[in-house]
Amino acid sequence: MNELRKRKDNSSDIALWNQLRLGNEEAFSSLFERYYSTLVNYGKTLMTGEDRVKDCVQDVFVNIWTYRYKLYKLNEAILVKAYLLSSVRKRIARLHHREHIFSNIKNIDSLEFLFDFSIEDRLIADETTAKKVEQLNKSINQLSDRQKEAIYLRYQYGLAVDQVAEVLNLNYQSTKNLIHRAILQLRKDFPISVLFLLLNFSLN
Amino acid sequence: MQKRDFYENIEDFLSDESFQKWVKGNDDPLNWSEWTVENPYRAKLVEEARLWIIGMKVEQTPLTNQETQKSLQKVWKKIGRSNEERPDKLIWHNTWFRTAAAVFVVGLAALLYYANLSSTQITTITYQELIKSDSNGLIEQTNNSDKPQLITLSDASSALLQPNSKLSYPKIFTGNERKIYLSGEGFFEISKDQNRAFYVYANETVTKVYGTSFRVIAYANQPNVQVLVRTGKVKVSSNQNIRNATLEEVMLLPNQAARFVRKEQLFEKILDITQDKPLLASTNTMEQLSFDFKDIPVKQIFKTLEQAYLITIDFPQDKLKECYLTTSLIDVPLPEKLKIICESLGNNSRYEMNGNYIKIISNGCK
Repeated sequence: MNELRKRKDNSSDIALWNQLRLGNEEAFSSLFERYYSTLVNYGKTLMTGEDRVKDCVQDVFVNIWTYRYKLYKLNEAILVKAYLLSSVRKRIARLHHREHIFSNIKNIDSLEFLFDFSIEDRLIADETTAKKVEQLNKSINQLSDRQKEAIYLRYQYGLAVDQVAEVLNLNYQSTKNLIHRAILQLRKDFPISVLFLLLNFSLN
Repeated sequence: MQKRDFYENIEDFLSDESFQKWVKGNDDPLNWSEWTVENPYRAKLVEEARLWIIGMKVEQTPLTNQETQKSLQKVWKKIGRSNEERPDKLIWHNTWFRTAAAVFVVGLAALLYYANLSSTQITTITYQELIKSDSNGLIEQTNNSDKPQLITLSDASSALLQPNSKLSYPKIFTGNERKIYLSGEGFFEISKDQNRAFYVYANETVTKVYGTSFRVIAYANQPNVQVLVRTGKVKVSSNQNIRNATLEEVMLLPNQAARFVRKEQLFEKILDITQDKPLLASTNTMEQLSFDFKDIPVKQIFKTLEQAYLITIDFPQDKLKECYLTTSLIDVPLPEKLKIICESLGNNSRYEMNGNYIKIISNGCK
């Protein structure tokens, strides 16, 4: 016990997960502290109302503890992070589904992605860059909900493609295509001339 | 050679955490600046990737530590509520204790088996045993009156509990199963949830549904347990805990029933309820009333509901005088029936439910 307390902050997710499955309360709390904020932020991209989102994330953890003896033994391939993100998503989808039981939404994956990417203004040095970035940003925000969510998960949380697939409940190939097609689409909207780039770059 | 030397497209850069950090101006331990200018093609890619990162900012503030701690406390509180006694890890995680327990259980099982072999006595399961084995804090409702009693569950399912019957259920369903325990008789209308099966435990039987309506008759002192289906699909099986449970299962469709003969521990399937006299006698108004309404005055619909559920519905008679409705309310629990009616009336109509008394608040229909 004491030993775990000491190395609490640098134990790996997997180690904490396995401790949790054995009923270790500290491991549970550590994982909660590590991911609560991330999960709430992710939840907010799928559902409005911060309090509702927090409730949802908390319930995910309540269930994890309640059914700890039945949890999977996760391995390196299925990150704890991906598992948690996916649990939050499923829970929100279920809530969403229940709320819309009368409006004929049959597919539980019809979740909207309610998030817009913004622009890192402080890194823009000149007018031309500003224009390009603005256009790119607009194109990204016009992608389909699914594509946007995949990109968000992939680049914001650094999930690998198979982990994104796990969260979105898709298979590997469709997820790969989803992201790939999004990137192609953006590049089409956003051709950059080599000359411009080289010039601009040497200025930085 | 480094991994990044093989980067060929934007995706490679975007998913590289150290690259992202460098672009955002944090630090550059891997010396991206120098690496970039090593060749022009690379520089083009890097600049493009840089613009992408600038245009894909995620503006989300992390929660404070304090906030997280507050929520963690809330989680422990919720956990405490969802299972009153947390399985205590102190003794259970002692290997010796576990071994001893296992030996004890095996021994006990063997003893019971032989005891049963010799006496051919059949084990029955009672309601009391069932609720004892559920560790979630259950609420128990007993109907001692002479009229059926309406119970609404946390998932908006409803149960009409007959006199001299008992129902135990959790205040809030958690996890991916919904389990309730019955002694006596009840008519159930279960709200649909494909992800969470609903189980009714009654004596030696378990009835599993996803969203349907059906009646279960399981009095402790009667020789049979009976399950009658009104709508949807229902699976009835014997409780795994009974001896020589061959895990029998019966699938039932509307107007079918299953009778579990407790002495023989066998199921009998009845393909048409109307052809079976004893069963027909046990159906009542609920099964005989139609909830399919075609251009019917709302007033009359409320009357039908009052009859079926033995409730009182209080509604503004004058305002709803001219309202006619065409709707099918079969197959949904009472709260959903009321919700559908209120939604069809429009005009911010709503209902309030207080036990067997329901108040409709409405300014008339659209």
